[in-house]
Amino acid sequence: MLAYIVRRLAVAIPTILILVVISFVLMYAAPGGPFNSERPVPPEVMANLEAKYGLDQPMWRQMVTYVWDVVTRFDFGPSFQYTDRTVNDVIAQGFPVTLTYGMWSAVVAMVVGVSLGVAAAVRQNSVLDYMAVGITIGAQALPNFVMAPILVLIFTLWLGWLPGGGWNGGQWEYVIMPVIALSTSYMASIARITRSSMLEVLNSNFIRTARAKGLPMRRVILRHALKPALLPVLSYLGPAMVGMITGSVVVDIIFSTGGIGQFFVNSAFNRDYAVIMGITLLVGVLTISFNLIVDILYAWIDPKIRY
Amino acid sequence: MALLDVSDLTVTFRTNDGPVNAVNGLDFTLAEKESLAIVGESGSGKSQTAFAIMGLLARNGAATGRVAFDGTDLLSLSPRQLNTVRSNQIGMIFQDPMTSLNPYIRVSDQMAEVLQLHKGLSKTDAITRAVQMLDAVRIPDARARVSMYPHEFSGGMRQRIMIAMALLCRPRLLIADEPTTALDVTVQAQIMTLLGEIREDFDTAVILITHDLGIVADFCDRTLVLYGGQTMEEGPTAPIFADPSHPYTAGLLRAVPRLDREAEVLRTISGEPPDMSNLPAGCPFSPRCEIARDHCPTVKPGLAPMTDSRHRACHATPAEMHEEMRDG
Repeated sequence: MLAYIVRRLAVAIPTILILVVISFVLMYAAPGGPFNSERPVPPEVMANLEAKYGLDQPMWRQMVTYVWDVVTRFDFGPSFQYTDRTVNDVIAQGFPVTLTYGMWSAVVAMVVGVSLGVAAAVRQNSVLDYMAVGITIGAQALPNFVMAPILVLIFTLWLGWLPGGGWNGGQWEYVIMPVIALSTSYMASIARITRSSMLEVLNSNFIRTARAKGLPMRRVILRHALKPALLPVLSYLGPAMVGMITGSVVVDIIFSTGGIGQFFVNSAFNRDYAVIMGITLLVGVLTISFNLIVDILYAWIDPKIRY
Repeated sequence: MALLDVSDLTVTFRTNDGPVNAVNGLDFTLAEKESLAIVGESGSGKSQTAFAIMGLLARNGAATGRVAFDGTDLLSLSPRQLNTVRSNQIGMIFQDPMTSLNPYIRVSDQMAEVLQLHKGLSKTDAITRAVQMLDAVRIPDARARVSMYPHEFSGGMRQRIMIAMALLCRPRLLIADEPTTALDVTVQAQIMTLLGEIREDFDTAVILITHDLGIVADFCDRTLVLYGGQTMEEGPTAPIFADPSHPYTAGLLRAVPRLDREAEVLRTISGEPPDMSNLPAGCPFSPRCEIARDHCPTVKPGLAPMTDSRHRACHATPAEMHEEMRDG
């Protein structure tokens, strides 16, 4: 198992390097640059700016310098947009925020989604099942840029229970609405995956054996059916976790949380190359990590999988 | 009193094409320590009979009638009450040993939970008993192998584990639903030998559900031939095999290849297994019966005694049947 993990981490290095190359090529292929604005900058000023940020160098040299700085000094460069901050500052400030509401979203999505899916499967074709299916379809169909303002309308403007935005160090009142807005569609997906895989497992022969043993239904489900039913959820959860803990543009903008979700879009608009790269690498590393975690959990659940 | 007394058992499935009866008013009894074979082709309702007894029908299925086990009607029990009978009083083993054990749980835990549940044993004691039982079904090196997962055993070994698990609580009745169908021929013989020995050692009554007439002859005291969810003929095994009294049984026996006779063309029963959603009002076998009378499809032959211990459901007398089938 340890050898497997080491091997996977070794493979991660070329994967990330390829990610860097592709991102660089795509960034430079897109027209415009970080210092293009509506009023043209005088050529001498532009030349100075480009020299300062190393943009006058050929692309391969910029790439090598970038990787070198990251590896040797963990320096992701200065932000082109916010001149007084480095990419490390931007991420250090924004990532804890998204990590907080992202993790809570993951917990809520998993707990609610799995419970709803299991309940629906166990009571297939009952009112409960139809309700669960209805809720999940609704939750998946409702985009969060519609849902977030509705939440604000209800809980802030009508009921006055929750603040309409801000973060305030992650106090719970400020976290609730971002979590609901972010987790709902993930919750719905998890519920649907759980329901269908649970239905399949409940029809399998070993569940019939468990029932023939006289085990109460509760135990049949929790001990015999849940583990295998969760395997498809686990596969979904790898990428979904990355999606949640890196936040969402909509949530960050509507609730003004100050997370890094908004930088995904802003940095691309502003051609803030260093921030784009920093966030891309963050997402890349998280994706690789969560896929590895999922594979390890798979081996833990399914005894037939041995690395 | 009979250990098991099944009367007027009917199993109905709700389907998109309307209700379908898999078992139609089945009656039979089983004495303490007796062994009964329920024989029929696929779709004859034999497995559904077993599932109905154990309360394991699929969600869209329902059983009516009476299944009295030791005087208690199992069909009227609440799920909780039924759970105290399952595995504790009636053990069951299934057709496909490859998928009947939970692949995610160690054999030790799967076996131990039965004893923990029904006998209140501690886990350690339960595992000790499980190992003894695995020894009894001749799993080599049971003590070491008990903590393995099902996929680490062969199909035959897994069926032995299933048998051991079904016997842990020393049930008074063991239902074996096609226990050897999914196994190699050599392994089949071993499993049948094992079941025979276990029946002796444990004084367990056995219902053996099978389509394989070859394994019935040596194993079961009595045989019930099922077609279209109804009894065609029923009685002690030896006379039924020696002198079948129903055209369906006769056809089945004729379709068993024999090595001790001159090779001739193997006779089969013509036609298809019955369409359970569209059975004739009379005898379900009449569309395929080579001696069917005009009234057979419309008038149902009752199950009538033939001798003290034998019953048959056919409009033709045994003598007529033998005469006409010889011609055919």
